Amino acid sequence: MSGSDASGGPPCTGLVVVELADDPAGELTGFLLAQMGATVRKLEGPGGAASRSAGPFAGDLADPEASLPYWFYNGNKDSVVADLATPDGRAVFEAELAGADVLLSTLAPRHLRRLALALDELVAARPELIVVSVTPFGLTGAWADYLSSDLVGLAASGLLNMSGYDDHTIPPIRPGGDQGYHVAGTFAHMATLLALVERGRSGRGGLVDVSMHDALAVTCELSNPFWFYPGFVVRRQTCRHAQPVPTQPAHFLCGDGRYVYFALILAEQKPWQALVEWMATLDMALDLSDAAFLDVGHRQANFAYIQNLVECFFLVQDSLSVYHDGQARGLPIGILNAPEDLFDDEHLQARQFFVPVDQPGVGTVRYPGPPYRFSAFPPVARRAAPTLGAAAPTGPAD
Amino acid sequence: MTPSPSSLPVDQSSHGRTPRPRTGPLAGLRVADFCWMGVGALATRLLADFGADVIKIEGRNRIDLPRRLPIYKGDRLRAYGDEDSAPDPEKGGLFNNFNRNKLGVTINLRLPEGRQLAERLIATSSVVSENFAPGVMENWGLTYGRLRELVPEVIYARMSGFGHTGPHASYRSYGPVVQAVSGLSHISGLPGQEPSGWGLSYMDNMAAYFNSAGLLLAVLQRQRTGRGTEIDVSAVEAGIGLLGPLLLDAEVNHRSTRRPDYPPGNRLEHPPAAPHGVYPSRGEDEWVAIAVFNDDEWDRLVAALGQPAWTADPRFGSQSSRHAHQDPLDEHLSAWTRDRLRHETMDLLQAAGVRAAAVQNARDLTTTDPQVAAHGLFFELDHPVIGPALFEGVPFLASSFTPDHWRSAPLMGEDNAYVFKTFVGLADDEYDGLVERGVIE
Repeated sequence: MSGSDASGGPPCTGLVVVELADDPAGELTGFLLAQMGATVRKLEGPGGAASRSAGPFAGDLADPEASLPYWFYNGNKDSVVADLATPDGRAVFEAELAGADVLLSTLAPRHLRRLALALDELVAARPELIVVSVTPFGLTGAWADYLSSDLVGLAASGLLNMSGYDDHTIPPIRPGGDQGYHVAGTFAHMATLLALVERGRSGRGGLVDVSMHDALAVTCELSNPFWFYPGFVVRRQTCRHAQPVPTQPAHFLCGDGRYVYFALILAEQKPWQALVEWMATLDMALDLSDAAFLDVGHRQANFAYIQNLVECFFLVQDSLSVYHDGQARGLPIGILNAPEDLFDDEHLQARQFFVPVDQPGVGTVRYPGPPYRFSAFPPVARRAAPTLGAAAPTGPAD
Repeated sequence: MTPSPSSLPVDQSSHGRTPRPRTGPLAGLRVADFCWMGVGALATRLLADFGADVIKIEGRNRIDLPRRLPIYKGDRLRAYGDEDSAPDPEKGGLFNNFNRNKLGVTINLRLPEGRQLAERLIATSSVVSENFAPGVMENWGLTYGRLRELVPEVIYARMSGFGHTGPHASYRSYGPVVQAVSGLSHISGLPGQEPSGWGLSYMDNMAAYFNSAGLLLAVLQRQRTGRGTEIDVSAVEAGIGLLGPLLLDAEVNHRSTRRPDYPPGNRLEHPPAAPHGVYPSRGEDEWVAIAVFNDDEWDRLVAALGQPAWTADPRFGSQSSRHAHQDPLDEHLSAWTRDRLRHETMDLLQAAGVRAAAVQNARDLTTTDPQVAAHGLFFELDHPVIGPALFEGVPFLASSFTPDHWRSAPLMGEDNAYVFKTFVGLADDEYDGLVERGVIE
């Protein structure tokens, strides 16, 4: 393992990963490793991975080379065609695996059985091999063969129950962006790194069995503690913490029709005074400047009145002004950005967060940069996702 | 060979609360942990679970918020923000959940001697972690440059809402603010309505996980090259990375998400799945999620429903046509789900090969969920003030290593004597003097 720059390259330099992934959880895991320098050999069937047929597509043209999900999750990987159901494809898989440190698999138990592929036997044959399995419910347990999706996974975990509207005639609403798969992939990534640290110490690889259901079930923040301790089930509220009892709304509509998030907390003196001084700049503090409101009890007794005045104060301003002016006064206000707004954000621009990638046939496409920055080595340049079968298979093992 | 949870639940009775050598991939790694709040505590919890000596550095003049939030055994019904005026910092369940397996010390960092003691602790560690507002560690003189003088190949993990550089570096945030700014709230909700966003600080979890991953990457890098590093994690940037392909739809296809038919609620635009939604079940506010992605799955659903006449409606004859007629489709399906228990529907549809799940809650996970039970996902540890409590474990099973759950969260300063005498090497009289002068609190 040696890299080309003075730092020795990023942490996964020299690491070879074979990826059998057909959902965003597995593909994200492989990408996070590729982003840190690993060589990721993505094996796809002759028709391409499932993500190649998932939209949206660039130019809205359903084409396996234009799938935006495929682009998003598969940068910096090599695409190798291998159909594991055929002897030839199986030979390609075995040759690839012979040179690999890590096998990453999203094959469900029923798929493993159909392919007669036993993950534990792969490890038994090569004890230094790390096999990371990421599946909807894990490889064992009564639900191991249950089918899932992002929505179904979020539902079973408890996370969906926490999200939605105050009006409970409306069902819980799925938070956007395939977060069920993202949580699973994030844990699979951490588990892979732990397995690599362990192998660095003991020389031993092994099988790591990651369950999306379990990963989501421990990513519900307060809901499990509220059950473990006082014994309450939390109830969903519009875009704020699900709680055992209702709390005040936290979205404020601004004059430009956009929202800001601001939890009006009356118990603390300093932010209260900052808020009133701010409102006074537009002559909208009214009697909130009165000494009576310096008393927490008085404020709490007049919560609805205060909330009303703050609603008016935000409604006469645009959302960007509210966001920046509030933050300048030390108030934790967040603007509800749309994804397309982010490219123009001065802070993200100053940090050069978005990275330009030359996308053949399209031009420059800006992707989000890595979630972490290291002083010890420069980031790995992002490469566009590969065309199907762009990499030649590794030759047969000796 | 197959990973098994057979070692759980953990029996603590054999070793009590006295620190002992740890086991796991990270055994021997010592972390001077200045992290606090949920997001900070979660980031270093994974390290503590897998064998690192994570020394949580607290102060009596800055009580960690999760110690104060009223998530108490046997408590009355109240919101988490409804704090007691002088809460017992040892009673907080959230703190217990976030800080198991860690050591706890208390140093008064306002005193010069306190900062000197912190430096001595850092000098015997090889990782330093923090998630204060940018500038706080600098005020204590704890820059990366200074840390490298103390530990040449130190790993210095820093996380904040917006990262440590840039014009908004000092902006204040917590989970919901990060979710708003990164775009995650805007993309969640019913079309034409206020976003429903998130019912939790999702980004506290996710930013913490990426910080854990960053720390593990740095440990791997030091294992390979011998070199340390500073790490900068911005929660907002981590959140943007989680937007996924829809960010590319905006970038490549110039498609705005500020349009009347967006966000799609529980419906799915890509691929055009239908039915795809959350349907009422028998009972108050009980629901079941059902997702059908293709004709085969539709045929299996129809068979499971007993082939009622409405399924033969030509509007439901193909995936694209079903997708175009989701209002009547959902109405029919809701009429069928409404009279059934959510788990009954889940099991019936899953047996037929249809993707479906009850909308579960924490009670379901704890009492009936077969996966949580089979994997030993929740486990019990005792606590001197709280008593026995359940903990959220690690959502993977590995054949070559296991988590080392040795103790619930530390009491305030519980491990002062152990850490400062054993790790830092203070003599008894030196230690006593620091306690007397209020340096060790």
